[in-house]
Amino acid sequence: MTWESRKGYWLYLIPGALLLTVIIVVPLGWNVYLSFTKYRGIKPPTWIGLENWQKLFQDEEFWASFQHSIAMVVAMVVLPTLIGLVLASLLFDLVGRRFGGKVVGLLRAVYYLPQILPIAIAAIVVGWILRPDDGALNEVLTAIGLGGHNWLGSPDTALLSVGAVLVWIQIGYPVVVFMSALQRIDPQLYEAAELDGANWWQRFRAITLSGIRPEIFVVVLTCTVAALKVFGPVYALTRGGPGSSTIVPSYYSYTEFFTAQQVGYGATIATALTVVVLVVAIFFVRAQFRLADEEER
Amino acid sequence: MGQRRIVTGSALALTATLLLAACSGGSDSAGSSEDIDTAPKGDGQTLTIWTYESADSAMGIAWDKAMEKFTAETGAKVDFQLKSFEQINQSASQVLNSDSAPDVMEYNKGNATSGLLSSQGLLTDIGPAVEAYGWGDKLSSTLQTTAKYSDAGVMGTGNWYGIPNYGEYVQVYYNKDLFEKYDLEVPTTLDEFTTVLQKFKDEGITPLSESASEYPLGQLIYQLALLNADRQWVTDYQTYTAPADFHDANWTAAATTVKEWVDKGYISKNATGIKAQDAGDAFTAGTNPIFFSGSWWHGTFEKDAKFDWGTFLFPGATMSPGSSGNLWVVPEKSDAKDLAYKFIDITMSPEIQNLLGNNGGVPVAAEDDAITDEKSKELITNFNKLSEQDGLAFYPDWPAPSFYADLNSSLQELVNGTKTVDQVLDQMQADYDKGTEEYK
Repeated sequence: MTWESRKGYWLYLIPGALLLTVIIVVPLGWNVYLSFTKYRGIKPPTWIGLENWQKLFQDEEFWASFQHSIAMVVAMVVLPTLIGLVLASLLFDLVGRRFGGKVVGLLRAVYYLPQILPIAIAAIVVGWILRPDDGALNEVLTAIGLGGHNWLGSPDTALLSVGAVLVWIQIGYPVVVFMSALQRIDPQLYEAAELDGANWWQRFRAITLSGIRPEIFVVVLTCTVAALKVFGPVYALTRGGPGSSTIVPSYYSYTEFFTAQQVGYGATIATALTVVVLVVAIFFVRAQFRLADEEER
Repeated sequence: MGQRRIVTGSALALTATLLLAACSGGSDSAGSSEDIDTAPKGDGQTLTIWTYESADSAMGIAWDKAMEKFTAETGAKVDFQLKSFEQINQSASQVLNSDSAPDVMEYNKGNATSGLLSSQGLLTDIGPAVEAYGWGDKLSSTLQTTAKYSDAGVMGTGNWYGIPNYGEYVQVYYNKDLFEKYDLEVPTTLDEFTTVLQKFKDEGITPLSESASEYPLGQLIYQLALLNADRQWVTDYQTYTAPADFHDANWTAAATTVKEWVDKGYISKNATGIKAQDAGDAFTAGTNPIFFSGSWWHGTFEKDAKFDWGTFLFPGATMSPGSSGNLWVVPEKSDAKDLAYKFIDITMSPEIQNLLGNNGGVPVAAEDDAITDEKSKELITNFNKLSEQDGLAFYPDWPAPSFYADLNSSLQELVNGTKTVDQVLDQMQADYDKGTEEYK
């Protein structure tokens, strides 16, 4: 196709480019600008240069929030991806063949349900389950003689509890993506491997894992970005507490925007978070391209 | 995936920016009381009112009646919109700076809320209306504190920016049945109060229903700090007339007492995972016999508690957390200000004030003999007592917008034992100093 013949297609990009500019580029630019200002959200911002950034680098709460982000990556990326891989493979390879498509469909829907549940609703239910005095979990634990615990109110377990909720919410996403990916794999490969005496684990390693590598990349990338930006569950379950043991960058940014009304500093935190997300995304995308190139060779 | 946009806040910032396109500098001069039309004709006009009180609360009931009266008297229609506290709290500055601003709205009192908006020129200086209608005569000087703000947005002096309809304060709710069962009297000193707490503990009952996840524990520590404080201490703390010292005798004693009460089991360590509503529910369920919290719980307990309960002011205290209630404010962008003032005046009328008082509220201008409900009388008597002894000490989180969350965070560390009393006081000092920088 020559440039002349392709020229017409550029017209079709205009609506998308306009939307991208209005919804992403302009706010992002404005946000970066605000990070160099003192701004309370009402009167015009005042330029203060690098003051917010200097403050940010000395802000212990900000660094603590990024440490908690690592825990969020474990809860939203590492564990769900690993569990999702195993579950998808079991559903596709074992359950599907033994019990049929209907059972697989039902189980897939059950795993995916937390993904479509609004986080506010999920948080109310989880909050009720984890309540220290009369929550369902503590009632059960007490009944079997283990005694209750202040799950969301104790610094030792608050982050773990939020993490556990996130694992539950996330699992459905990789399961659905990986199961779709498995449809691509030729079933004869599995049959041949089985005839050669390969057990489930060997089939999983040799066929499943290598066959759905692109989807694993996509899941890891999208989940990592989501984990770095996680807000809803923290807001709904703990508000960053107890103390600041579950605070994450997006929630910290939110409190500076809306509670402290320090919009300039909130924008600085948001900008720093954007930079981290961009770096992570670029790293993953490049790694994926490298892998694709190697496979082509 | 629940994917959020590229940056939390960037879109919010854009929204704010778009709304800020016509940024207001400050209000014009307020004019004089002669400019106020106290008998406005509203035919063909609509007054937009925003509040965030539930329909079955004392305020909800009273204001509903006020709207009826307003329409009957002026001929104007009312466009009433019930918002949530969070909605108004988080977006007031953007909304009031836009053409979507209501004509009159309920808004939180204090430096961080009404003070901030007034300093940014978003609220009308209603001084002339106060004079024209004589509202100043109906409000005690303590209640006027939260209605006036300086140019910097500090309460207590300056122009009138709001009018409170009701008062609120923090008191002790107690389970009379359980007090009777264990042969306990209403305590009148801190020592007697501690003895009561110990007696319940001896019976295997955690006496105090407490929440460190939200405001109740903050109010308790502030109450304990107020025990030996004077008015000047409160003024310095709330209006920055002198530096607040969190290592002074008052705060040190208060934090030490809270820590002791946690260690002795008067307050459950689980309080860090308990919200205010859960703490109130635990009192209503009879789980904990004592709950120290605001007068806004009164109606709920009256409706839901299945046992005999009563109230008393904190033993040994002349001051307690409390103030005027939320304010009626008139946004600078309101284009029906005379009608807004008329509506406010109707809410201050004896009929509406008495209705508020008979439904579990604390009216600011009711007729004494018009309050017939016994429990409401007790509530109002306690408030009047506190008000008369100049005992309304505002709330601990008022000095800075971020101090509510900061205080909860510090107290969670205190209850969990992750920080010592000294470290917690250090943390509170740092947060207070950081949050109040704007005002100094």
